[in-house]
Amino acid sequence: MNSLGWIAGAIIWGTGVIVRFAVALCPADFRAEYGDDLVRTHRELMDSARRQGGVALMRTALRDASGALWVATRLRLGRDVSSVSTSTFYRRTPMFDTLWQDSRFAFRGIARNPGFAATVITVLALGIGGVSAIFSVVNAYLFRPLPFADEHSLVTIYETNPEFGWDDASAAPANALDWRDQVDAFDDLAIYSEFANEATLIIDGEPTLLAGGGVTGNFFEVAGVRAALGRALRWDETWAPNATSIVLSDRTWRTTFGADPSILGRGLDFSGRIMTVVGVMPPTFNFPSNETDYWAPMGWEPTARQEVWFRRAHFVRTLARLAPGATQQEASAQLAVVVRRLQAEYPGTNKVMGAGLMPVRDFLIRDVRKPLLILGAAVSLLLILACTNVATLTLVRASERAREVAVRTAVGANRMRIARQMMTEALLLACLGGTAGLGLGWFAVKAIERLNPLGIPGVTSIALDGRVLFATLAVATLSGILFGLGPALNGANTAPARSLKEGGRADTRSRGGMQSTQWLVGGEVALALLLVAGAGLVLRSFGHIRDVDPGFHVENTLAFDVTAPTSRYSEREDVLAFWDQLTEQLEARPGIERVGTVGRLPLDGTSWSSQFKAEGWPEDRVGIEILHRRSDRGYFEALGIPLVRGRLFESADRDGPLVVVINEQFAAEHFPGEEPLGQRIAYDREPDDESSWYEIVGVVGDQHQISPAQSVRAEVFENRDQDWSRQTNVVVRTAGDPSAAIPIIRSVVAELDPLIPIAEPRPLRRVWRSSIAQEELILMLLGGFGLIALLIAAVGVYGVTARAARRRTHEIGIRMALGAQRRDILTMMLTQGFGVVVLGLVVGLGLALASTRALSSLLFGVTPNDPLTLGSVVVLLAAVAMVASYLPAFRSTRVDPLKSLRSD
Amino acid sequence: MRPLFHVPPGLSMSKSRRSSQGLTGLTYQILLALAEIKQHGYGILKEMEERGGPSAVPSTGALYLALQRMESQGLIAGAPAPESPAADARRRYYRITEQGRDVASEESRRLAVLVSTARDRALLGEPLAPKHGKA
Repeated sequence: MNSLGWIAGAIIWGTGVIVRFAVALCPADFRAEYGDDLVRTHRELMDSARRQGGVALMRTALRDASGALWVATRLRLGRDVSSVSTSTFYRRTPMFDTLWQDSRFAFRGIARNPGFAATVITVLALGIGGVSAIFSVVNAYLFRPLPFADEHSLVTIYETNPEFGWDDASAAPANALDWRDQVDAFDDLAIYSEFANEATLIIDGEPTLLAGGGVTGNFFEVAGVRAALGRALRWDETWAPNATSIVLSDRTWRTTFGADPSILGRGLDFSGRIMTVVGVMPPTFNFPSNETDYWAPMGWEPTARQEVWFRRAHFVRTLARLAPGATQQEASAQLAVVVRRLQAEYPGTNKVMGAGLMPVRDFLIRDVRKPLLILGAAVSLLLILACTNVATLTLVRASERAREVAVRTAVGANRMRIARQMMTEALLLACLGGTAGLGLGWFAVKAIERLNPLGIPGVTSIALDGRVLFATLAVATLSGILFGLGPALNGANTAPARSLKEGGRADTRSRGGMQSTQWLVGGEVALALLLVAGAGLVLRSFGHIRDVDPGFHVENTLAFDVTAPTSRYSEREDVLAFWDQLTEQLEARPGIERVGTVGRLPLDGTSWSSQFKAEGWPEDRVGIEILHRRSDRGYFEALGIPLVRGRLFESADRDGPLVVVINEQFAAEHFPGEEPLGQRIAYDREPDDESSWYEIVGVVGDQHQISPAQSVRAEVFENRDQDWSRQTNVVVRTAGDPSAAIPIIRSVVAELDPLIPIAEPRPLRRVWRSSIAQEELILMLLGGFGLIALLIAAVGVYGVTARAARRRTHEIGIRMALGAQRRDILTMMLTQGFGVVVLGLVVGLGLALASTRALSSLLFGVTPNDPLTLGSVVVLLAAVAMVASYLPAFRSTRVDPLKSLRSD
Repeated sequence: MRPLFHVPPGLSMSKSRRSSQGLTGLTYQILLALAEIKQHGYGILKEMEERGGPSAVPSTGALYLALQRMESQGLIAGAPAPESPAADARRRYYRITEQGRDVASEESRRLAVLVSTARDRALLGEPLAPKHGKA
């Protein structure tokens, strides 16, 4: 056989396969009657065409294969053969015309039933709005680009210490520098300080506070950013204690210096110390914080690397770029080797100090990953619920439109067309809902932003960008298809004769459509229960958090930052005199009751931690991870922190031996059953001659350091007069509204020193609020979802009951005519649909019991399976479902039997 | 206006395309093919091809769909294989019914009226084109 013969054989065989496949798809009755004959005729036709030549063969093959598939499709879609055209010259309406016609029809359908459309659009808008809001949050964390070049080769190295419970701690600079030198997989490694330092800039005699970030000179190079103006910093400036170069952020360059291009080379007066602007960063770069006004080189002494504190103090973060071709695994492995080497080399500081690395984005979002996942899951559930609900409503409506569909089928509309038209309507509603949802999402994002600035600090922010728009569009289309599919299939399968018969007279026998909507409602109730249970748990948990006593008075208290500049307050005596005057003059003002100073406010995080040893302790006994804070006597008195034992600081301590006050947690944790007062402690694992010894003179009440939801840690308060600092928080207790004291404070500080600005005067209530802001945000979002879920479930139950009531008007009329009481009818209507609701409640409860465990990390003082919460949620949902079905059921009892019977 | 074509009972007229033009081309062709003899599907297709050329032949699927419809409308019926040596007993044969014959005659007369009008208006100066049925 020549090659043409092979090709012809292959064509005949292939076409035969297609035709047999199409015949197999045909309904059984057609197949049995005509199937074999059809295949045989096709084979003979192909043989005959083959004899006529290649063109005839190809034509017959194409015609028979496509014809068989077409017939199978037509027969599958509608078995009513008499309505199928068999014309060989079958014409199709151009697609665009059909689409246009469908859209017009859909619009008309929506306009005819605005109540239905409004409900569907609202429900979808709530679901899609939630999705777009949450996705814009997720987007900010996971997808928006970081301000680094090639972020995938950037990693952060953190330190770990199982003894101290450190998972991702700040690094000690000496360790970080050793990683830089010894890990070959790092192309380079930069160091930056995690927290900005505030410095007072004097412009034309006016003080302004600027936040500066300390960095190593290679920081910008490692990040892969160039200065927009001038140059970045240099590595050698890292090691120059007198380095005066600074790089401004774009924001500060614009707001403080009016985008002056001649800023380069200008000396800025930082309270006497002149710093020179060498560059300005592009507007996209604000790392590590939005508040960063400028970056300055670390300015370490070149000898610092040999000093113990450089390896003991953990206060820097790192950013490393992997060498070309190096993988994260290789870098990890090499880092582990270096870590072991350092452990052996510096047992005093590094004995149990480990290190790990992770991609820079993972590091930046490490605290929000879990809440984001939970919110994402919740909003997905909400969207599914919204789609289910809309599908329910559409099915209910479709069954009411059965007559319309039947009429259209009877006058010749084919099923495909009807299905497509229902789909168009669903998609149109979804698009309208999506648009409304996007609007809602926009408002939600604005609200979230006002409540709590989200996004990776200084790196990305929330925005409804192209990605969010695209996701919303995709979700809208998908939900349109999801909720349109069921009704489309349902509508296309309506038997016209039966619908026409039923349509005229409401009939109780048509239960098929009824059942599917009831199942959907059951599903809705289950989903809603899950969401409401989550919201309930978070609500209870938030209630517990709010009830936690933070350990100090949040009412009638406020705080502000003050820095005494080195240039005018060079000595300890100068600084202390300034604090004393400030305290004295503030307390002399009316409305101000007590003033104190503290290095870091409670509920505002921790400053530094250390180990300690008490005098006389055996060699193997050591206190791990105690927090430190510097304060004066006024701090405790102004914030109402109780003195439990011993005494507070006294003025005589200023020049006396070193004394400290500890919190109750410290006493309980480190001196159980012992008298802490009079103990002398040093902040070293192995104190030596150079160690300072502090005597514990008092025990005060616990104050939560990070948030009310996090337990109090052992803390020691150093005396401000002994361990002095130029920067402090001043706390003020006022007689009335603390905000009213702010102008007084400003004027007092200005009188004392007009060149000292005060920063962030804020009531402590606000400090407390922001410490629980994340919990509050999660509560608001999950609570909102729960509320929407409840509403949607109610709409679903209402819709289905109302439909059942309408369908049974005739039956109710008969029953009432035969003497049924209104109460009987009401009971009948209520119990009919309630079985499914109960089933939904049971399934939802099961789901909740199985899945609320995922919330446990967000919960405080309440277990994931809290019976009280879950019980209340079940009761709440049952009540809502009861009310939602009561209304239409009640209405059905108002039926006038005569009217309802006559309406046939 | 009096309809040109009388609709026999059971014959669907739901397609607007058909109501003004009588039977579909395929239906008429099948009726023509069965007017004198019993035939199987392949025979019907072959005759249509002889009369109208390869482009006048429908796909096998369309033919059987039409056969099923015409059977259900009573225009044709299944028939035993004819007693001739060429006949294939495994095949399904079809014959025209009385009703089918009436419908085919009615349609032929309708077409004849149309064709004679066309001839009067000098639309048929040349010998008839091989296509039948549809204008």
